[in-house]
Amino acid sequence: MHIHAYEKLWLALSIVLILALIGTVTYGAVGPGVAMVADSQSTIDAGGIDEDERFSEPRVEQVGENEYEAYVVAYQFGFEPTPIVVPANSTVTLQVTSRDVIHGFEVVGTGANTMVVPGEVSEITVETDEPTEYGIVCNEYCGAGHHVMEGKLHVVSQSEFENRGGDSE
Amino acid sequence: MGQNEAVHAGTEDGGGDAEEFDPIGTLTLIGIYFVILVLAWVFIYFVEFLGRDLVVVG
Repeated sequence: MHIHAYEKLWLALSIVLILALIGTVTYGAVGPGVAMVADSQSTIDAGGIDEDERFSEPRVEQVGENEYEAYVVAYQFGFEPTPIVVPANSTVTLQVTSRDVIHGFEVVGTGANTMVVPGEVSEITVETDEPTEYGIVCNEYCGAGHHVMEGKLHVVSQSEFENRGGDSE
Repeated sequence: MGQNEAVHAGTEDGGGDAEEFDPIGTLTLIGIYFVILVLAWVFIYFVEFLGRDLVVVG
């Protein structure tokens, strides 16, 4: 069978393109360690959040050296705690759940974005850099007040985080 | 270009296979698309996705 040289060329380029797409995504997973939001947490009773040890009192907690966990509750129409205060240059795991309907949790302008489903705990781990302030929006239509549902994520310096100590926990 | 191809095909008349058929314009166009696609992918993945703060790592 005769295949034209140009056709061979763009067949080869297509293969290169496919390999490059797979390669970059693989690089993302291996290099910077990009992960998906997984179904890693067991379900909870959405109606019994007040009795849940993590979510009865939404807060940020230190769980290891430079590792923090934020327990966040989304509700109609807001997020608790507001603001979520986390230290700079640390690893922060956000555990987010809803006590009413399906919400979204998107830290605006960043890669941190997940659905929040009642009865489920969405877990995302991020690494913070310099102190800054982010907005958080709900990106799943959740009712009449959806458009005003917002939160704040404040990344503060380690010393400021320690000074706040009490009020963030 | 289409006319040239027709002329070549006529003169060769089965002798030189399709070797005279060189759609350089199409090749150039596909080449340009290819470059746009690669640059767009690099921009979307490395700049817009990985370049943002708070990359989800777990």
